[in-house]
Amino acid sequence: MTCQRCSREASVHLSETVDGQRRELHLCGPCARKAGLTPPDPPPNAALEAIVDHLIVQHVGELVGELARTSCPLCGLKFMDFRTGGRLGCPNDYEAFTPGLLPLLRAAHGASRHVGKIPRKRTPPSRSPRLRLRARLREAISREEYELAAAIRDQLRQEDADQ
Amino acid sequence: MNLDALTRTSGEWLRGTGPESDIVICSRIRLARNLADFPFTNRASDTEKTEIERICRATMDKAGLELDYQSVVNLDALDRQLLVERQLISRELSTGEGPRGVAIGPRENVSVMVNEEDHLRIQVMNSGFSLADVWEQINTLDDQIEEYLHYAFNPQLGYLTACPTNVGTGIRVGVMLHLPALANTKQIEKVFRALHKLNLAVRGLYGEGTQADGDFYQISNQQTLGKSERELIRNLSEVVPQIINYERQARQEWIGQRRQHLHDQVSRAYGVLKTAHTISSSETMHLLSSVRMGVNLGLIDDLEIRTVNELFIHTQPAHLQKIQGEPLEVDERNIARAGYIRRRLASDNQAAEERE
Ligand SMILES: [Zn+2]
Ligand SMILES: [Zn+2]
Repeated sequence: MTCQRCSREASVHLSETVDGQRRELHLCGPCARKAGLTPPDPPPNAALEAIVDHLIVQHVGELVGELARTSCPLCGLKFMDFRTGGRLGCPNDYEAFTPGLLPLLRAAHGASRHVGKIPRKRTPPSRSPRLRLRARLREAISREEYELAAAIRDQLRQEDADQ
Repeated sequence: MNLDALTRTSGEWLRGTGPESDIVICSRIRLARNLADFPFTNRASDTEKTEIERICRATMDKAGLELDYQSVVNLDALDRQLLVERQLISRELSTGEGPRGVAIGPRENVSVMVNEEDHLRIQVMNSGFSLADVWEQINTLDDQIEEYLHYAFNPQLGYLTACPTNVGTGIRVGVMLHLPALANTKQIEKVFRALHKLNLAVRGLYGEGTQADGDFYQISNQQTLGKSERELIRNLSEVVPQIINYERQARQEWIGQRRQHLHDQVSRAYGVLKTAHTISSSETMHLLSSVRMGVNLGLIDDLEIRTVNELFIHTQPAHLQKIQGEPLEVDERNIARAGYIRRRLASDNQAAEERE
């Protein structure tokens, strides 16, 4: 099928119903872009997101109900947000969502245990005091407790200055 | 770093030298790292991202790394695109939001992205097939940075990353290959299937979603957990020579069976590039690919691989517009591109004559 605006092969096909009238639109990539019907570039990680979503559906099916109620206490990410976006919110999510993540990691990597380089310094993320402080800061702001928020912010600044 | 200067120079990875550089353009390793004390970039506020940026910049200074930091927020769209074409930043960093940037080494062989999908994306890139060297460089760099930071790390899962597909080693090991003969004879499909079985990914020159313009293919690991960095590098290092041999065989068969045809195709491609007055980006990539193979097979003798490698990059839209010093519409770019190629080829030919 050729593009309705030029003679190239159409790659974008749209149909809509306006006032009971069905309209069809067939455009080539460049014309569709010109008409603002497609994003200028494919999102860079579309493929990865699809993979993650697929893996979640396939491998944590029964757990989904329970996981849907789980969220990370430090960054507030809900497991369902992760499922939609394919991205975790903070280092602590690997602990918060372990039952949901392990099957996924096994499916994606064929393994669930790290072998390889180990940094010389290590801070368990869930015990990272600053990550916790930042979580409290966000909470304080959301509850409109601005005095508490200011105090936490000062404490964070002080620690940054000491670093 | 003066970004305008990038249009007159070429990165170390475009040198066209190093082991197997007739087929392997460059070897690249990337490490994904995150600070333990912050949410990942996608969940961090702008204030937190500013803080992450400040800490990462300060770390690179303290570590004495001689990298030039560019805040991406301060760059206009053309400069960002230039860095993407140059393989120094990802498209994601270019189009992202909030405080973010990149630190670039003087020879463009090192780049450290800040606040990309992960807080740090450390990249080292060398010309030719040299993964062991690249690993040595990036491992040292990672140690130097880690000296001043707390990375998010968990003993069971390794380096923690925003996307679980990178967790563990956080390593992406890749080589960029030029495979015109396999592409031409459609044997490339077989290669893809084999690589897929080995858990390796294949992409075009500018990453996912782009076509393999110019017959360039990036091959990289997909697994990052459960194998050590050295094992993952070894896996790729064992596969690449087989693909190189396969491509060389395909070229020899082609030249053996249809020498005149091949010579004709290469010479015509070279002729068009030397004389065209308007040329699209995709035709350019296609013709340069033939010419590049022609140089390697000795069918063209007055042109250097380095020039061809550079032309692939310098004829991309942002490079062209920077060279021309003004924004250009598609038609104008096609004319500017043809002019630029004619001038470069003429001066390279002249240099070749003078050497004789
Ligand atoms: Zn059209
Ligand atoms: Zn979290």
